[in-house]
Order: sequence, then structure tokens, then C-alpha cells
Amino acid sequence: MSEIMIEMKNIQKHFKNNHVLKGVDLTVNEGETVALLGSSGSGKSTLLRCINLLETPDEGEVRINDFSFSADKINKHVKLEARRRTAMVFQNFGLFANKTALENVTEALITVHKKSKAEANEIGKKYLEKVGLLDAANQYPSTLSGGQKQRVAISRALALDPKIILFDEPTSALDPELVQEVQRVIRKVAEERVTMLIVTHEMDFAREVADKVAFMSEGQILETGTPEEFFKNPKNERTKKFLESYMQRFAYSI
Amino acid sequence: MGKIFDFKYMIEIIPSILKGIPYTMGIAVVSFVIGIGIGLAGALFKIYKVPVMNKVTGIYVSFIRGTPLVVQILLIYYAFPILIKFINYKFGTHIDISWIPAVVFMFIAYSLNAGAYLTESIRAAIQAIDKGQMEAAQSVGMTMSQAMIRIILPQAAKISLPVFANFFIGLLKDTSLAFTAAVPEIMGQAKIQAGRASRFFEAYIDAALIYWIICIILERILAVIEKRNKEKS
Repeated sequence: MSEIMIEMKNIQKHFKNNHVLKGVDLTVNEGETVALLGSSGSGKSTLLRCINLLETPDEGEVRINDFSFSADKINKHVKLEARRRTAMVFQNFGLFANKTALENVTEALITVHKKSKAEANEIGKKYLEKVGLLDAANQYPSTLSGGQKQRVAISRALALDPKIILFDEPTSALDPELVQEVQRVIRKVAEERVTMLIVTHEMDFAREVADKVAFMSEGQILETGTPEEFFKNPKNERTKKFLESYMQRFAYSI
Repeated sequence: MGKIFDFKYMIEIIPSILKGIPYTMGIAVVSFVIGIGIGLAGALFKIYKVPVMNKVTGIYVSFIRGTPLVVQILLIYYAFPILIKFINYKFGTHIDISWIPAVVFMFIAYSLNAGAYLTESIRAAIQAIDKGQMEAAQSVGMTMSQAMIRIILPQAAKISLPVFANFFIGLLKDTSLAFTAAVPEIMGQAKIQAGRASRFFEAYIDAALIYWIICIILERILAVIEKRNKEKS
């Protein structure tokens, strides 16, 4: 019986007059890879950021494995606890510009998890090797390609040994030829049953890597299912339209 | 009629004028260091809109930027004796103002002045750092202050380096106003030597050359630091 890693109930979020999340429920089980799909502005990234509280939900309950909180009781302490149970991979990499690749991975191990420098370095090297970047350990982010940066970011997330890794459009800022190398790494991580929630626009990738797909539109999750069900037999009208327009993109690009 | 230009006197008085260097450098370095401290605090008050302190910082910066440095120097120079008189009167103490060397007043005046300008430069530098850096630091579980100290400020300091360098050179030259408050820095010494023989031009040429040479040396040092910094990223 696998544990529940993320459980969100009735998450509501407004940006001024814009109702971005209209009561979202979402569950992610241990070892699962969940892809969160939907058009731009549907609230996918905001939902993701409501888990590690880079955005504060207005209403609702969030549970990250053994830690639960409700939207009205969020304070500094809750934010730290939520963030220490999660890791995030950002669209724009978010590597610390003043730290080398290795230091990027070890920084939080030392400052947050209070590991010794030697221990942190050992862990750091292990995870850089995992993403094939041990050779770049002493390079600064500005000298790395986009794909390499994102792989460092993924190894930084893995090194934290979080309950879940949140991916916020991890390949959207990459040159097309670099997308593959990052997807390959994510696939490898998925195979190791690391729990992941991935916001993405890459349908083929989602279909292949995810155990479960959730489709968001206008601040709500309209449909959840296995990639098989979702792509072959979408039930919701809007899901069908979304998939159709996605397929059409290929029809145009002859 | 005497000589049009007394070259010999100009050379002769150089050692005396050089005696002003410790004052000049002292005021510049001390007020630069304290000014960075004030500026950092002021910048954080403004960025995080800390209640009350945010407003206080705003007024402070506005006042310093809106009044000439000479006026600030004179205000500090004359305010302190009055303040001490008041303290003596109020608390029955017997503090003697003449115990405090004039250069201490200059530390205060120049620090306050530097702090105001640096508040704005440091604020700009911190805000120039990509917001994603703070988010990334928070996402791995760092506290706000850990993120500030370990991620944001080092980057802000790096981009501020040329600004700080410029500012320090400006500050160093501004110390020439300290003679207004009887501190014998380079300009003060030059004035003394100029008055002794009524050879003003000669003495001021010495002062100009000394300032210039100090600034050239500083610029060289800073160029090296900047180059080293560039390699390290």
C-alpha cells in the first residue's frame, strides 16, 4: 500500500480579481509520476506553487505526506516545513548564479539539513553523476548549457531526498535540441519511483512518463486518468478540444 | 617681485601635505564601511517595507540627498557641542566636548552621507537580482535570511562592485571638505602650507597630484579585483 505524498483539497487562489484556482483537488501517491496538463493560464503552475507555498492559497487544505496545513494557518514555519519536504525544478532553472554546480547541489544540504561539508560533497557528487554532470562539478551556471543547467537543478532536487519533486515546465525554456537530454533524465528518475508532479506542455513526454495525467482548465481539474484513458478516450468536452487543437499543431507543421 | 612659480617650495611642502593622508584615508574608509552597513539596513527596510523604518529611511535619504555635504558637516560639527551641553545640563554630567577629536564628527557626518547614497545603490543592486534566485533558495528550504546572506547579497555585491568603487573614489575626494571642521586632511594641510608662504597655487597643485595618484592606485587595485571576479563565474 503506497502512501499519499500530496493531497490537496478545495484549493482556491485569487490574484486580485482573477480567480485562478477554483477549488482544486489533487492526490499524488508515493512513487507516482503525475503530469499536469492544460493550456497556458489554466492555473497549473500556480497549483504547483501552492504546494511549496511560493504562492499562498486563499482556501483549502494541503497535505505533504506527514505534514498537513490549511490555507488560513500558513505562517513562516509552515512554509519552511512544506519546502523542506519538497523540491522544485523551475522553468528557468533557478540555479544559484554565485555557486558552482556542485555547490548548487550541496548548498541546502549544508545550510538546511545541517550536513557536514564532506558529507554534502559526497552526496552532491553522487547526484551530479546520476545526471551525467560530475565533470561539470566546479563550473558556474553561466558556463553551462540550458540542458546542463536543468540537469544540475534536477540533481539538486534529488539530493534533498524530498517527498515529491515539483517540475514547473522543466523543458519550456530549452532549445529544442536540448529538450531530449532533460527528458531522458526525468524519465530515469521516474523509473526509480521518485514521486513527481510535472507541469508540462510536452504531450508525448507526459504520455510516456506519467502514471497519471490531470487536465486543468480555467482553474479546475476537469479530468484525471491514466495516459492511456486520457489521450485515447477523453471524457470531457474541453479535454477533447484541447487534445484536438494540440494534434492540429502537427497537422500545420508540414 | 618674487618668483612667478616657486617650484622649490612646491616640492618642499609635499611631506607636510602627505601628513594629511591618514586623515583622508581614515575618513574615507571608516565612513565607507559604516555607510555600507547603514545602506544595507536602509535597503532592506525599503525593499521589505518595514513599518516605520521604511518611512524613516525615506526621510533620511531625502534629507541627505537634498542638502549639500558641507552643510551636513557643519550641522554635525555644531550639533554635537549643543547635544553634549544638553546632556550635561539634563543629567548633571560633565562631559567635555574637547575630548572628542574633530575627526570623530567627520566619521559621523561622512558615514551618514555615504549611508544615504549607498541605501539607494544597494537597494537597486538587490532588486536587480533575478526573483527566481530567491524563489529557488526558498524552494530548497532556506530561510529568508539564509537566502539573503548566501545567495542574494553575494550576487548583489558583485554587480555593485563598480558602483562601490566609483562611490569610494568620490567619497575620498569629498573628504577635502573636512577641513571646514578643522580636520587636517590633505586639503587642510595644503591650505596650511599655502598660507604659510602665500604660495596657494603651488600647494594646491601638490594636493591635486596627491589625490590623483591615490585615485590611480585605487583604480588599479579595483581593476584587478574586478578581473578576478569575472573569472570566478
